[in-house]
Amino acid sequence: MAIYRPSEARQQKGQTAPEEPNLVPIMNLFVTIIPFLMLMIVLSQVAMIAMNFESSGETGGAGDGTGGGGSEELIEIRLYASEHATGLFPGFEIRDVDRSVTKIPKVGDVYDFASLQQMLVQLKDKYPNKSEIAVVVYPDVMYDTLIRTIDLSKQNGFVTVKYMNPKQMYYY
Amino acid sequence: MSSQNSTNKKKGTRRVRRKTEETRGLSITSLLDVLTIILVFLIKNVSMEAVKISELPDMHYPTTITDEKLLDNPEVVPVKLYQDRVLFGIDNLSMGTPDDIISDANKRDAMRQYFEREMANIPADKKDKACLVVQADAFLRCIYLTEIIRVATYANFPNIYFATIEDPDWLSDFRPASPQ
Repeated sequence: MAIYRPSEARQQKGQTAPEEPNLVPIMNLFVTIIPFLMLMIVLSQVAMIAMNFESSGETGGAGDGTGGGGSEELIEIRLYASEHATGLFPGFEIRDVDRSVTKIPKVGDVYDFASLQQMLVQLKDKYPNKSEIAVVVYPDVMYDTLIRTIDLSKQNGFVTVKYMNPKQMYYY
Repeated sequence: MSSQNSTNKKKGTRRVRRKTEETRGLSITSLLDVLTIILVFLIKNVSMEAVKISELPDMHYPTTITDEKLLDNPEVVPVKLYQDRVLFGIDNLSMGTPDDIISDANKRDAMRQYFEREMANIPADKKDKACLVVQADAFLRCIYLTEIIRVATYANFPNIYFATIEDPDWLSDFRPASPQ
């Protein structure tokens, strides 16, 4: 027969199963935080294309499309839609700083972005230090076409894109 | 005899109490595990930016490879150009239709006043952080964009952003033809 000292016997009698921690306050906290975070969550965020319009006139601006009026000669990408005057064509026209012109007409109803991409790669190889390019947009060109053109320019190292309008000339 | 009867009666009415089992507390540990995982996911994705430029469900965005970030702590003025309406600012102030901003001089003047007022509300030390964010439908003509940019630059907006949807593969749909 085992003999316990009175204190040991009392301790054995008092032992119970360990209690689970009370998780209810933590649950309350979580249930409050989660709806709050769900309100702030942005699951589909849009991308951005930046254009700088600094007052110095060096980087961007809705110019008049005369091209090369500044201190540095610019490469121009002209975007034409189909409705323009005689002599113009639907597609891209790239005017190099040496005044040579490359035409990339539409293929069917679609602008030939793949050829534009090739052309921009060649231009970057030719002028590795150039980071500016001008995009001259005719009014009827679709916004989607403009954005894709700016996108390709930026992808090929022409990070500063000048947004220009063609010079409107009226003959009476 | 009567005492025996009363004893039997008592026996019949005696209720036997069942030993009730102690109800066990609902285990919320597994629920807590799930909530912890969700919490981590939400904290990772939450945006603490003051201005959220999120995708508008009823707008067809152009796609781009480029995704440039907004300036730090920008002062954002959003402009939404739909095919049938133009909305300015966070409060979606209506400026009529896209054709109105070309044909109606009053609308253009209202647009200019709006941009100038927004610029005036921006503190002087944050004017260089003013950003006009244009969210426009991909199938709008550029004439509308040009007009908005012209008025915004007139009001001295230094930064203009175009909202797009990022798609790194959009160019793969195009095959090159020989340039003339």
